[in-house]
Amino acid sequence: MSQAQATVSLPEPTVISRILRGLAGNRTGTIGFVLVVLILAAAIFAPWISQYDPAAIMTGPRMAPPSSDHWLGTDNLGRDLFSRVLAGGRVAMLVAGASLGAALSLGLVLGLVAGLGPRWLDNLLLLLFDALRSFPTIVFGLAVVTLVGPSLFTVILVVAITSVPIYARIIRTQAQSLRNAEFVMAERAMGAGLPRILFVHVLPNVLGPLLILASMDVPLVIATEAGLSFLGMGVRPPTSSWGVILNDGYNFIRNSPWPVIAGSVPIVLVTLGFTFLGEALRDIFDPRLQKAN
Amino acid sequence: MIYYATQRFLLSVLIVIVAISLLTLMLHVVPGDPATMILGPRATPELIEQTRVAMGLDQPLPVQIVKFFGRILHGDLGTDVFTGRAVSDIVFEQLPYTLVLIAVSILWSSVLGIVLGCYSALRAGTWLDTLSGILSVGTISIPAFVMALYAVLIFAVSLGWLPAIGAGEGFFDSAMHLILPAFAIGISWVGYIARMVRASMLEVMGAPHVRMARSFGLTEARIVRAYILRIAVQPAVTLLGTGVAHLFSAAVFVEVIFARPGIGALIVSSVNERNYPIILGAVLVTTAIIVLATLLSDLTVALLDPRQREAL
Amino acid sequence: MTKTNTVSMASAPFGRRAFLKGAASTCLFAATMPLGSRIWAQSGQTLRLSAYADIDALDPAFYQNGYNVDVMNCIYTKLIRYKAGREWDWELESAEEIEQVDDTHIRFKLKQGLQFSGDYGEITAEDVKFSFERAILHDSPVKSDWGPLDHVEVTGRYEGVIVLKEPFQPLWTIALPYGTGHIVSKKAVLDATDDGGNFGMTPPVFSGAYVLAEWKSNQYVRLTRNPAWTGPAPGFDEIRILPMDDTKTAERAYEAGDLDFTQITLSSLAQYRQDPPANTTIEEYPSLYYVWLGMNLDNPALGDKNLRQAIQYAINVKQVVDAAYFGEAEPATGLIAPGLPGHRDHSAIPVEGDLDKAREFLQAAGGPPSQPLTIDTLNASEWTTMAQIIQAQLAKVGIPTQINVQDSGSFWTLGMESEGDRWKNMQLVLNRFSMLPDPYYATSWFVSEQVGIWNWERFSSPEFDKLHQKALSEIDPDERAAIYRQMQDIMEQSGAYRFLTHEGSPVMYRDSLEPALRPDGRPLLPRFSGSV
Repeated sequence: MSQAQATVSLPEPTVISRILRGLAGNRTGTIGFVLVVLILAAAIFAPWISQYDPAAIMTGPRMAPPSSDHWLGTDNLGRDLFSRVLAGGRVAMLVAGASLGAALSLGLVLGLVAGLGPRWLDNLLLLLFDALRSFPTIVFGLAVVTLVGPSLFTVILVVAITSVPIYARIIRTQAQSLRNAEFVMAERAMGAGLPRILFVHVLPNVLGPLLILASMDVPLVIATEAGLSFLGMGVRPPTSSWGVILNDGYNFIRNSPWPVIAGSVPIVLVTLGFTFLGEALRDIFDPRLQKAN
Repeated sequence: MIYYATQRFLLSVLIVIVAISLLTLMLHVVPGDPATMILGPRATPELIEQTRVAMGLDQPLPVQIVKFFGRILHGDLGTDVFTGRAVSDIVFEQLPYTLVLIAVSILWSSVLGIVLGCYSALRAGTWLDTLSGILSVGTISIPAFVMALYAVLIFAVSLGWLPAIGAGEGFFDSAMHLILPAFAIGISWVGYIARMVRASMLEVMGAPHVRMARSFGLTEARIVRAYILRIAVQPAVTLLGTGVAHLFSAAVFVEVIFARPGIGALIVSSVNERNYPIILGAVLVTTAIIVLATLLSDLTVALLDPRQREAL
Repeated sequence: MTKTNTVSMASAPFGRRAFLKGAASTCLFAATMPLGSRIWAQSGQTLRLSAYADIDALDPAFYQNGYNVDVMNCIYTKLIRYKAGREWDWELESAEEIEQVDDTHIRFKLKQGLQFSGDYGEITAEDVKFSFERAILHDSPVKSDWGPLDHVEVTGRYEGVIVLKEPFQPLWTIALPYGTGHIVSKKAVLDATDDGGNFGMTPPVFSGAYVLAEWKSNQYVRLTRNPAWTGPAPGFDEIRILPMDDTKTAERAYEAGDLDFTQITLSSLAQYRQDPPANTTIEEYPSLYYVWLGMNLDNPALGDKNLRQAIQYAINVKQVVDAAYFGEAEPATGLIAPGLPGHRDHSAIPVEGDLDKAREFLQAAGGPPSQPLTIDTLNASEWTTMAQIIQAQLAKVGIPTQINVQDSGSFWTLGMESEGDRWKNMQLVLNRFSMLPDPYYATSWFVSEQVGIWNWERFSSPEFDKLHQKALSEIDPDERAAIYRQMQDIMEQSGAYRFLTHEGSPVMYRDSLEPALRPDGRPLLPRFSGSV
């Protein structure tokens, strides 16, 4: 891990052009990039793309197959599936962004504390991380949801908490290896404070790789959301999410196969998009990063 | 190595204890009460109180946790007050179904994943590699329950080739009942393992000693067998170690959909009933297995690659 | 009940009949055998069906739900039983005769020669006395099934008198033919337990047509013929009950050939009717469940009766039910389903609701509430569908709502005072109770005593409580029915209830099977016949 010195400071023109050049030379990377851009655009512009309110019931016949009025058909309440898929995309991106953001920041803090703090605290935190990781996510999710009640916030909470240990561990390792790095020791000897070391040396080094890792975790987050919704513990109705669409579709699969298709295809696309993009970025910046995972 | 192993083992025990204590803490504040849930609408308040006492729910939380671990030292997971059966009986009756399911899922997906990964690595950059990449990534995050659902609808209901529910009896019948659930769980791992093996093989194939071997005129097939595969399989072992938790998660869904017995289905139903002794017993066993699997995979890796031992 | 279907026997696949050589000889053999043993010829016939829940009680005096009773029905006998068919009625099982001597005395006479399993000998009136009294003696949760039972007087080896403290009509509808009416051996139970109390999951004795051969929790319950059984032989050698808490799973299992009989969901019914699986009969039965939207009278936001009435009138029950049950269920007029005494022909508030009236009431209440009202609901598809339709309907008159989906553990303790303060915050709640075939069972949850237990609306009416008591001892059926109708009127007038539906209970089974079902579609397993 200590070899990962390829400095990834955030967007400078050179970095962007490097990314673009790297992507252009990578077939799957290009596919991933295009998919991610499309998905993000669909999520951002959802209300302007579809003519229906995703929560409006009885906009047409129920469980109708795709037609020119309803591009993906309708669900068991006669809601337009296409607009629900788009709205679900917004929820998915929100859950992914919020939970990964929270997990990253919390993981960053805890990881730095563990990596640079006293030994006993390090051990304690490590123990806690490992304990959290030793539950099957869904069991942990069940416990949290029954505790706080199902809602969008709960889903974010579950994903955030279960992801923190992964990030925290990576940052801890990074921080530790840097702590003993010669140039850091030298600076310390010259009287540089901890904050300076953190912001100048540690953060820039770990942030880039972490962001790439996080982007590759997006599909996992979305699958978790879908799973919780499947067990009836997802977002609050009438909010749409891909998991809810899948769950309803599963319940009414005899009536129409379309909702299950409408719910699962976006999940596959998101997985393809973010994984390919993440892998390509990783290859561009640091071919050895995968070892850290 | 022995020192390392002992250290890791003790740490694992500690992890399980912390995990279970965390869970107990959480369950304690969850709304819902086992006595009311299971005794049904007609239980008298006295009976509910009796049941709570019998389950030890009237005692302070730390006492409950200490007592729980105290009993475990004696190999006792407690008694289910509702059926009067030992929790360990209930849990270990269900556990084999899940373990077999997970084992079969891992097995077929590893074999296929490693083959696919090697193939992709040797043919890196070709359209076949791209196709296998798309296929394997595309299946990674299809939730297990969607896969299970499609599988059951196509192969059990429409085609009638395979049974839709249950675990079956006898070897042949049980094997038939395993195919669809193991397919649903394993399919996403094929992609994972293939990606992993491909990536590390590409890395190793570029490494100096492999290039040297090649320059000595060893055939490609021999290099693959002798050097690359052994090293490339390492991350797959690590992945499986950390992946057992995910496998258990997937088993929860698959067991629900296929109405299969198993520890996942047991956890879901006991959470719904708030039957704490069973939840704790089942999660304890699951957590212990996951921690053990992680431990084993770490030890294996450490055995293969001594450098890893320092990264405790 | 004992009819053997020789035609379908002959067409049954060969391999199933292990010890008979050919189809022709089967028919011949079968026709010359005495009735009781004739069905033995159908060796290897196993009836497979699903149950919503795994068994968790096998002691009849301590049964917990109908799925326990389905199994008890097979392994114990009782004096009288429900008639199979479309109308609620009972018939004799182990009693040779039974009669109501006066308001508080019921005389019975057992058939002679009925045997317990093992070495526990003949079933006698002493065993009946023991079986009936122990629910009360040991303070069973279901002791109220016996109401004011005082004791059973044994007047002969096979004869006795059930003595009540006061008249109790439900004795005939839910005590004798249902869970607590099953008979166990006094000696066997005393051998197995210290005090004759709950024997839990290990029945010490069997008195029915089947014995419990094997129970694998969460997998199956396997019942096989009881060799000691002297009554008419049951239609199957073996019954296998598989727990499946999702009816859709059961549907798929049936289609894949893993079940012979199953309930189906109302949402799948139309599809199945149109395109049934091969060799399948689909039948629709009404169900006794009742579903309603309740309002917490003690919640400050719902204190104004005008607001509650606005909600009652804003809900178009027809639309809600059509959406949730795909047009396959009827709106309810109250708690009590059609076919039971006390069912109301109409509710006071039209099932379609009345938006103008709703707006008037809302105006009288001073406009819509400032904060959204919460609708608590269970996390099952029909429920969340209903909640979302109700949300849309209430939004039409300007009442904002928020849906809280709860898992079953959280949901079923929502309104309980024993569970902290959650009951205080509960506002609107979608609820569904199960039901036994006597109106008393429905109204008993809404008396003042139940406030904070199962009466989550916290509805309390002295008049209602008085009528509930009165109806218990009312002998005249018309008068009794009138009382129950009046009680539902009172509930509706309180503004705390909007009755929604009784759902429905469609079933499907193989054409060759002859199921015996209660009028609400619940299976009477020992009386299933035919072949599978």
